[in-house]
Amino acid sequence: MMPTRSFWNDTGRTGIAAWLFSTDHKRIGLLYFYTALAFFLVGMTLGGLMRIELMAPGRTIMGPQTYNALFTVHGVVMIFLFIIPAFPGAFGNLVMPIQIGARDVAFPRLNLFSWWLYVIGAAVVITSLFTGGGPPDTGWTFYVPFSERTGTNVSLAVFGVFIVGFSSILTGINFVTTIHRLRAEGMRWGRLPLFVWSLYATAWVQILATPILGVTLALIIAERLLGTGLFDPTRGGDPLMYQHLFWIYSHPAVYIMILPAMGAITEIIPVFSRKPIFGYKMIAFSSLAIASAGSLVWGHHMFTSGMSDRAILIFSFLTFVVAIPSAIKVFNWVSTLYKGSISLEAPMLFALSFILLFSIGGLSGLILGAAATDIHVHDTQFVVGHFHYVMFGGAAFAFFGAMHYWLPKFYGRRYAEKPATVAWALMFVGFNITYFSMMLLGIKGMPRRYYDYLPEFAPLNLTSTIGSWILISGILLLLVNLFRGLRKGEVVGANPWGGATLEWTIPSPPPTENFEQEPVVTHGPYDFSKAGMP
Amino acid sequence: MNPLLVTTTQAVDPVFMFIFGICLVLLVGITATMVFFVIRYHRSRAPRPTSQADGNLWLEIIWTAVPVVLVLAMFYYGWSGYLTLRDVPKDALPVTATARMWSWSFTYLNGKESPKLYVPVGRPVRVELVSKDVLHGFYIPAFRVKRDVVPGMKNYAWFVATRPGSYDLFCSQYCGVGHSKMITTVEAVPPAEFTVWLKQGGGGAQAGKELLEKHGCLGCHSLDGSIKVGPSFKGIWGRSETVLTAGKEHTLTVDEPYLRRSILEPQADVVKGFPPIMPPFAGTFTNEELAAIIDFLRAGPAAPPKPDGAQLAQEKGCRACHSLDGSPGVGPTFKGLYNSQVKVKMGGVALTVTADDAYLRESIRLPAAKVVEGFQPIMPTFADLRDDQVEALVEFIEEQR
Repeated sequence: MMPTRSFWNDTGRTGIAAWLFSTDHKRIGLLYFYTALAFFLVGMTLGGLMRIELMAPGRTIMGPQTYNALFTVHGVVMIFLFIIPAFPGAFGNLVMPIQIGARDVAFPRLNLFSWWLYVIGAAVVITSLFTGGGPPDTGWTFYVPFSERTGTNVSLAVFGVFIVGFSSILTGINFVTTIHRLRAEGMRWGRLPLFVWSLYATAWVQILATPILGVTLALIIAERLLGTGLFDPTRGGDPLMYQHLFWIYSHPAVYIMILPAMGAITEIIPVFSRKPIFGYKMIAFSSLAIASAGSLVWGHHMFTSGMSDRAILIFSFLTFVVAIPSAIKVFNWVSTLYKGSISLEAPMLFALSFILLFSIGGLSGLILGAAATDIHVHDTQFVVGHFHYVMFGGAAFAFFGAMHYWLPKFYGRRYAEKPATVAWALMFVGFNITYFSMMLLGIKGMPRRYYDYLPEFAPLNLTSTIGSWILISGILLLLVNLFRGLRKGEVVGANPWGGATLEWTIPSPPPTENFEQEPVVTHGPYDFSKAGMP
Repeated sequence: MNPLLVTTTQAVDPVFMFIFGICLVLLVGITATMVFFVIRYHRSRAPRPTSQADGNLWLEIIWTAVPVVLVLAMFYYGWSGYLTLRDVPKDALPVTATARMWSWSFTYLNGKESPKLYVPVGRPVRVELVSKDVLHGFYIPAFRVKRDVVPGMKNYAWFVATRPGSYDLFCSQYCGVGHSKMITTVEAVPPAEFTVWLKQGGGGAQAGKELLEKHGCLGCHSLDGSIKVGPSFKGIWGRSETVLTAGKEHTLTVDEPYLRRSILEPQADVVKGFPPIMPPFAGTFTNEELAAIIDFLRAGPAAPPKPDGAQLAQEKGCRACHSLDGSPGVGPTFKGLYNSQVKVKMGGVALTVTADDAYLRESIRLPAAKVVEGFQPIMPTFADLRDDQVEALVEFIEEQR
């Protein structure tokens, strides 16, 4: 049973058109959510197949060309079609306008257009897999000169990512404008929920960095179709210039992926501890610090490339500087728990495991940031493990936490707690087995993007593959339980978790206009006593 | 230069230990605190929060300052370790590593080529990295060294093997379908054994000639007996020359000490009738290079030995894609290929051709001209092979019945 006035049954268009042409931020948020989730499942399947191939040395289920296409498509789908659009697109859209007391984002139609660009770009990427010379086999980094020479369908895939990039830029512009212009009365900058702060920092990175990705990708297409020779050394070009251009976007892009995840964690931890967030200002400031300092560290992807030693000195130094605001966030999250009243429901389990997995990911990043040690583990399975700890153990675990935390708000029903806990435990255990094995493999010297490997790497690869089965079974259980709950689970009221931010003051599911009357904000986002919580 | 010899492994491993140590302390600290808080302040024990503290300036200062100190220490330690990786010891043995899709080839100063990197134990090796096509990565886990091999760029790496043995050498930068097969080994052998190995089949004279060309020697010294600015190299070994030493005229026989001296300090003995204008080359050549030049001057230009097809197929990476046992690979198998009928595509048109000498020659030189049906047109062109090498490869394929 749903409240009579909710965004699910508002008047106007009906059927599929009510979704595809809706300008309501909540509907667009759900469109983003399901599109991104579908791509997550595609990427997960590809990842699972790769792990099966690597279960034993030699050919297991596929040939080398297929394997190379798999890791390329896995990377492109997971990064460009899942994790970058997922957090701002889904939960940014769903929650951010309500959290600042607005009826919608500043440019609702631009918002819809962003989703369309995302879907069109994704469709182009998918088309590239089945046409031309077959799926691209360059790795998601599209490094030249290989990406200029391979006969696979690189141009079309790159064009698809190019279009998705515009979606990201437009979302960034929309969010910055919304946060500046549409805050409700009394919603001062110091009262913004920290999730909004993190989206704000992210939006600036989207606006400033994504155009450079667009330029870089356009240049690859020009190289392939027009033979401009910008990156081809045999024609006076420079392959390292490509790497610089690519990472000037793609390093800040990891902050597009992780910052909103940190923001979501920062919402969940105080609510489930019934305590204000510890160090509000430091957390907000560290989001901005990560976004700005993180834009200056791209060169740490290139320590072995032949770049000058002086550049390595500077990039290594700046990389360590970025570690500081990340550490500050971790200390503040842990301190929030102190003398709280902690309840371990699914969102909190994901938030707490986020802290641990993100810490492992971040600390292993120190090995990669130090020049001497990076040389040994660069381009090995260690990097793959590190990256998944940050992006999967970090961003995706936060995404799963956010799903359990916020989706009941929009469905008016909730998941069952016990299966969710079991699913979380399976994921947590499976995740660590899968990716810790990879980090060990890297330290032992196994390079990444290897279809086949020497016998000495066999035991850890088998372990990692077994871990991936546990992990995937956890994810499947989690999704089944969550969506069954959202369809016919227990009905929830306006504020099932006892949160103090604005989204918990309106009915679940919210009405189309969000607020019956414009809210006036009188307290901070984590001021539980003033919000009337126990 | 690296005066105190620290191996690359000795430079990197302590940094690993240092950073791992700090990470472990931080991780255990964070996890233990978190787990303790979760247990101690679980709602079953703490039904209500006992504090509403929302910050503490001193704590914030402490946990900003402590990470600052730690990261600066890790940064500095990491950087100083890295410097060792860049600082090649003075007496390093120079070797050129040539990477191509998907094989390694190592060239020594005397012109000897090898698919494995043979090195003498205890002597540092400086590897110049050359790529023939796309990016590759030169990676020896045992020595903690890695450097990308970038076409058109002069990258290098150095290491020293302190114990004899066989060490894996990987391609670390993704380079296409054969990437994971682009593996070879470093074979560290005792110095005496290495010297013997190096002399076998080495084309020392050839390397010497290349050095003479590279340093412009042949601009003044001809190889064909004609007189240019300086005496001709033709027949120079053992020749009697009248030279001026400190203004005094005397006659000597051209031998190794004389040649060596004349290269390093040309003004010491100037051949009568030539102006004393040759610049000194002291410090330009390593001892190996000097020996290679003198080898060349002793032997004169000689015909290079006939290339070995089997060895070439291994060295040039053909066998990464073309099997010898009939199993399908990235490209068609060599077994039974010779004189067989193959279906190919030429410019989009399908036709059947006989895999004869002419077809094989063309397919090695211009692989994209006729691509066998069912295979990707990804084979790199081998334009740098000499004609006799192509013939040797064709003969080798012919032998695979």
